[in-house]
Amino acid sequence: MSTPGFLEVGISLILVVIAVVIARYWRIPVEKDMALGSVRAFVQLVAVGYALEVIFDLQSPWLILLALAVMIIVGAHAAAGRVKDVKRPFVITVTAMTVGSLVTIAVMILTRIISFEARYVIPLAGMIIGNSMNASALTASRLTTDLKDNRLAIESALALGKGWRVASKKYIRNSATAGMMSMLNFMKTVGIVALPGAMTGMILAGAEPLDAVLFQIVVAYMLLSAVTITSVMAVELTIRRFFTRCHQLQHDV
Amino acid sequence: MATPVLEVHNLGRAVTQDGRVKSIVDDISYNFFPDKIYTIIGPSGSGKSSLLRLLNRLDEPTSGEVVFHGKDHCDYPPCELRQKIGYLFQTPYLFEGTVRDNLLYATKNLSDESIKLLLEQAQLKPEQLDRPTDNFSGGEKQRVAIARLLATCPEVVLLDEPTSALDPSYTEAIEKLIVDIVAKGKLTAIVVTHSPEQALRIGKEALLMVDGKLVETGEINQVINEPQSELGKLYKQRQLK
Repeated sequence: MSTPGFLEVGISLILVVIAVVIARYWRIPVEKDMALGSVRAFVQLVAVGYALEVIFDLQSPWLILLALAVMIIVGAHAAAGRVKDVKRPFVITVTAMTVGSLVTIAVMILTRIISFEARYVIPLAGMIIGNSMNASALTASRLTTDLKDNRLAIESALALGKGWRVASKKYIRNSATAGMMSMLNFMKTVGIVALPGAMTGMILAGAEPLDAVLFQIVVAYMLLSAVTITSVMAVELTIRRFFTRCHQLQHDV
Repeated sequence: MATPVLEVHNLGRAVTQDGRVKSIVDDISYNFFPDKIYTIIGPSGSGKSSLLRLLNRLDEPTSGEVVFHGKDHCDYPPCELRQKIGYLFQTPYLFEGTVRDNLLYATKNLSDESIKLLLEQAQLKPEQLDRPTDNFSGGEKQRVAIARLLATCPEVVLLDEPTSALDPSYTEAIEKLIVDIVAKGKLTAIVVTHSPEQALRIGKEALLMVDGKLVETGEINQVINEPQSELGKLYKQRQLK
């Protein structure tokens, strides 16, 4: 099988038309979003494709780092938009995502699982950053909601002389778990319910299934690490906004 | 003359609301002496609960100081201070589990003897000890919260409208319980109430707060029935209406 060209991509628009027709028939008001999303996906992905070709050809470590920085900043901005009721959420999401992503990528490079080449680092970083983005947004927004909704419970513990960490232990755990949940669910069903993207891509590109599987296992572990670090960082950064050094739950964060 | 257990000097807290700075506790000075019940009365929004929160250091004052046993509030580790100056919320919040779990949450390693004593003090039945608190009535929950409060061996207890969230049938029992605990436990209690009648039933000393300011202090009957200040007289008139 050859890889599809622009003609094949154009033909595949039939699938978008099918989706739009179904949505319209069922009066689901998403036709506009579907059309816009399809165009947007095309433009973004083609632009990324050209950018990656340039980056791969130039082989510059600085370009790799610049690409990572852009990916993290854009991802963190999107994640921050999902975190309500906290001032400057971007600081939380960008820090958590940077630590979670860079630690994981660094471990992969230092242990020589991958080499520091754009061809490996950028696609894997894309997966890591995408998952970290969701983890940071879910963790920070869940924690914020829980702390605001459970003021009486938390202050009841504080008033008994408990420290802020003890008083908010339940909410710390719940929010970190929320951030990791989709990853944990993915790990439970991977290979059974669905074949993950990286593995599917490799098989379609002609790799041996076992090679693709081994690579996918590494990807799963990598994502688990990134999501866990990001969630924990997001908790630590968010919760410090809520409590003072004197173990007081702030009214305005 | 006895030494005050708790002193408040020019205490204030200002907050920003809708872009404006508002003083919710305004330049309050008062001395609280041991083994007495003080009631803080005043209209809603007068800063009574905000004052209590400052005494327990749940909130930070923006001016003035609180002195506990001759030492500035801020010189105590906050967690240690809060065990000595306990706080009971208007709506009792009980942690998951049984009455015993709640008592042990407050203080680990409570002996069976201490637990028995706490149950007696809060007038809870021994058979309630290992029952989950989910199905407890409001009055029972408040008793558990009182027992839990006493588990940290506080010297001062701050009670924020302890009966206002309860069914009126529990009010009298909780009031009696508070008076009893203070009498037996050698405690100082500072009770916030919006009801002058309740203040008359519970305490001997009263503080009247209006608009964040302390406008009247002294013997409860005098504060309520013979106020000296203009704001105090206005409060009395409103109560009579």
